[in-house]
Amino acid sequence: MQSFQELILRLSEFWAAQGCVLQQPYDLEVGAGTMHPDTFLRSLGPEPWNVAYVQPSRRPADARYGENPFRLGKHYQFQVILKPAPKEVQRLYIDSLEALGIDLEVHDLRFEEDNWEAPTLGAWGVGWQVMLDGMEITQFTYFQQAGGMDLAPISAELTYGLERITMFLGLSRSVYDIDWVPGGVDYGQVRHQDELEFSKYYFELADVDFLRQQFDGFERESQSCLEQGVVLPAYEFALKCSHAFNVLDSRGAVSVTERVELIKRVRNLAVACAEAFVESREQLGFPLLEAGAKRHA
Amino acid sequence: MPDSEFLLEVRCEEIPARMLEPAIRQLASRLFEQLLASNVAPGEVQTGFTPRRLMVLLKGVPEREPDRAEVKMGPPVAAAFDQAGKPTAAATGFAKKCGIRVEDLERVENEKGEYVVAEHKIEGRPTIDVLSQVVPQILRDLDWAKTMRWGSGDGPWVRPVHSLIALFGGNVVPFELFGVTSGDSTAGHPVLSPQDFAVKGGSDYRRKMSRRGIEVRFEARKKKLLEQMNEAADGLGGELVEDAALLAKLASICGIPGVIVGRFDPTFLTLPREVLITSLRDHQSAFTLESDGKLLSCFLTVMDRPDDPAGSVQAGNEWVVEARLADAKFFYEEDKKTSLADRRAGLDQLVFHARLGSYADKTARITQLSEVLCQALGWEKEQEAVAQAAELLKLDLTTEMVKEFTSLQGVMGGIYAREEGLPEPVWQAIYDQYLPASTDDPIPRSPEGQLTAIADRVDTLVGIFGLGLIPTGSRDPFGLRRAAQAVVRILLEGDLSIDLDLVAAQAVLLYGDRLEKSGEEILTSLRPFFHDRVRYLLGLEGYDYDSIEAALAVGSSSLPDLRSRVDALHSVRQESDFLAVVLAAKRIANIIKEAPEQTLREDLLKEEAEKNLYRASRQLRSEIEAAEAAGDYESGFRHIAEFADVLDDFFVKVLVMDENRDLRFNRIALLQSIHRTISRAARLTEIVVDKAELRGRNTDMQVD
Repeated sequence: MQSFQELILRLSEFWAAQGCVLQQPYDLEVGAGTMHPDTFLRSLGPEPWNVAYVQPSRRPADARYGENPFRLGKHYQFQVILKPAPKEVQRLYIDSLEALGIDLEVHDLRFEEDNWEAPTLGAWGVGWQVMLDGMEITQFTYFQQAGGMDLAPISAELTYGLERITMFLGLSRSVYDIDWVPGGVDYGQVRHQDELEFSKYYFELADVDFLRQQFDGFERESQSCLEQGVVLPAYEFALKCSHAFNVLDSRGAVSVTERVELIKRVRNLAVACAEAFVESREQLGFPLLEAGAKRHA
Repeated sequence: MPDSEFLLEVRCEEIPARMLEPAIRQLASRLFEQLLASNVAPGEVQTGFTPRRLMVLLKGVPEREPDRAEVKMGPPVAAAFDQAGKPTAAATGFAKKCGIRVEDLERVENEKGEYVVAEHKIEGRPTIDVLSQVVPQILRDLDWAKTMRWGSGDGPWVRPVHSLIALFGGNVVPFELFGVTSGDSTAGHPVLSPQDFAVKGGSDYRRKMSRRGIEVRFEARKKKLLEQMNEAADGLGGELVEDAALLAKLASICGIPGVIVGRFDPTFLTLPREVLITSLRDHQSAFTLESDGKLLSCFLTVMDRPDDPAGSVQAGNEWVVEARLADAKFFYEEDKKTSLADRRAGLDQLVFHARLGSYADKTARITQLSEVLCQALGWEKEQEAVAQAAELLKLDLTTEMVKEFTSLQGVMGGIYAREEGLPEPVWQAIYDQYLPASTDDPIPRSPEGQLTAIADRVDTLVGIFGLGLIPTGSRDPFGLRRAAQAVVRILLEGDLSIDLDLVAAQAVLLYGDRLEKSGEEILTSLRPFFHDRVRYLLGLEGYDYDSIEAALAVGSSSLPDLRSRVDALHSVRQESDFLAVVLAAKRIANIIKEAPEQTLREDLLKEEAEKNLYRASRQLRSEIEAAEAAGDYESGFRHIAEFADVLDDFFVKVLVMDENRDLRFNRIALLQSIHRTISRAARLTEIVVDKAELRGRNTDMQVD
């Protein structure tokens, strides 16, 4: 059986060999690898960018006190961005599965329509959920818009669900049973306490007033950073807003109309950051354009 | 002219299953139209597709456009030649412009006089040139539900394009699309046969695809899948639970039609049948099997490969299904912990429409409206079940199962109600409330279900119309056309004599002050909306549109009654006597059009023919009233037909517009009264008469 960490190692190795920057997780709470600035911001503008990293992704509403064998409040995504998406990106993706030891000669691989949309980021893309023997193992997206802006060139985003793939390869009945270390510590031993305690926090303990104040404060901080011309800190505070919102939501503290309002506020920050980021890169003369040209020369 | 075949294949990344069929249909028909416009239409059109390719094969395409002559008008002959008959500067200039010699100019005569013309022969282009021009344009312009861009901004198209085969008579039709150049090669399955290969033409393409296990023709693929699945079902001692839409979807998601048999833990069979079928269909695109009406613990789905040599495809699918069913079972058991009645509080939180209130508000309205409907129909014994069903109708929206599978709304509430031991008419009404959702669906099976289904939809229609959100064009976000059609179908098929106007007016009142439009405005816009559905549905039943119009024009307070009238018209309208009366009716309508209402005085009837007409019309009225009282519209119309001769006689012998004012007004009064009599069941003037139909009748009657 393939272990969780072997999966990470093999994917890292494969994509590093394709010339990707092997990045590390963003050190904040985010809902998906897409929110990492190395995806969201770098997919904007004309500069080429290839990156791969693991991103622990928090979805408070999916937390299940460590009792549900399939659902987690935090799961790990392996995220790849290829910008511009090479013509043979599907072929590369298939090769990456083979690098994981999946013998496609005996499996059924299909690409089923699944379009991605992130209202809080003003972003959407077109693509598929990749199905291996009837199981969704990857989200494959061609980004079309981010921060409300049309993208050119187009990035391909590959998001591997690491727990799912590991479970599936071993046909495990519970995520907590998969090996983290080959034949050693398992996923439950690493993560179960985390799932249990955070479920308790998200659903029962989180202080709603405190979180609302945080949301407001983070929003102000983000706006003031933007005014001072520092876009990366501004974006960090937008991410913090987003997480505060997710926790409020899982706590059941957000009404239908307030929900729309809060999403709009996060979206406004994300859109402003996106615009400011493109401007800041432009002022730097889009340095990666030149670097790309140099490398190819 | 020799002809050739044209093979086109676009190979791209996976096209969404739902878009494939419409796309290939559009591609084939646009190609055909374009070639037809160039007078090189193909003799035969074949199409095919898989998720990764669109294929069109045109056979019997002429190799060249036919030559054609173009005629250009020049100056008048008088200006083109001088008195000596020699060409003037105008003629030589014109000939030069047209590129012909002046002596080759011809002459034509038209209504303005005689002109010189230049006949210019245009040689037809080779078809391959036509194709290289129109094909890339057609491909680029295909309509897709959603498009994308890729790479440095190529597109927009549905997915990135990888290769193009365009062969006409074995030669490549040269063009470029999104940076891809047309050629003669393609590739097989991305994992099993990814190498490029070249083809010579249509049959070579088919042969080489089939060598790779790929069936490009959709219908053939569907057939193969169905055969394999039936065979597998046989082996398992069951049969497929039929689902044409699912079969089409499965055939759209593979190029190689392979079938996978899976099994699941039989303890899941304790789940309701509907839940198992829906979970397997929605989550795994899988067919369920049944034997003697009982589901078996296995499923069938497809893989895009011919076989499962390591058993891994089966094992994978079973693993996913097991997890999905475990989820469903969890939801089901959680749901059953709270009875439907105890879920009421949840409806307060559930918004029906921001301006129309919550589902709790909607439930209160449906309950009251149902009660009104029961009274209107004179239903007593049904009333209790209707009230109970109405109150529980929407409660399943708060269940986990419906949140997971929205398509099970209504059905789930029905199942939970049945398991709680509620009376049959109650659970069935809840179960059937969204029927009919499509043209193939039946209407709710019980009168109670029909009634609550109507109340629910009329409430929605009135509410949304009341906000001024009337559907326009293809925009109908609330599904109001479908809702109105369901109401009309239920009334017609359930034979329910309910006045829709009255129900809608009641529904308006129940909204209190939530609506923005007045009751009158709502009814005025809703009435034609319903009438459009009536026209459509009765049209589907085969009735002529003018029969429907004629019946609608005199009222539609009860739809079953309306249909009886249309049906009766349909039976008699071919008869020449009846058509003669229709013509007379048009004539009468014309005469009395502007006239104020007159009072008939028997003593002023002078001529024999008008006295006859008067007597006959009195008799006709009592005959029609008797026939209508018996609900027999057909004999009513037949009596009208019998009226033809006496009407004929009247118009031949009597002048309505007599000089004498009293006589004139009295005759108009007579016609007014006849008009009322013959227009009770249908406005006959709406009927379109083809005069040829009347030829058999010996009459000198004319249409005014």
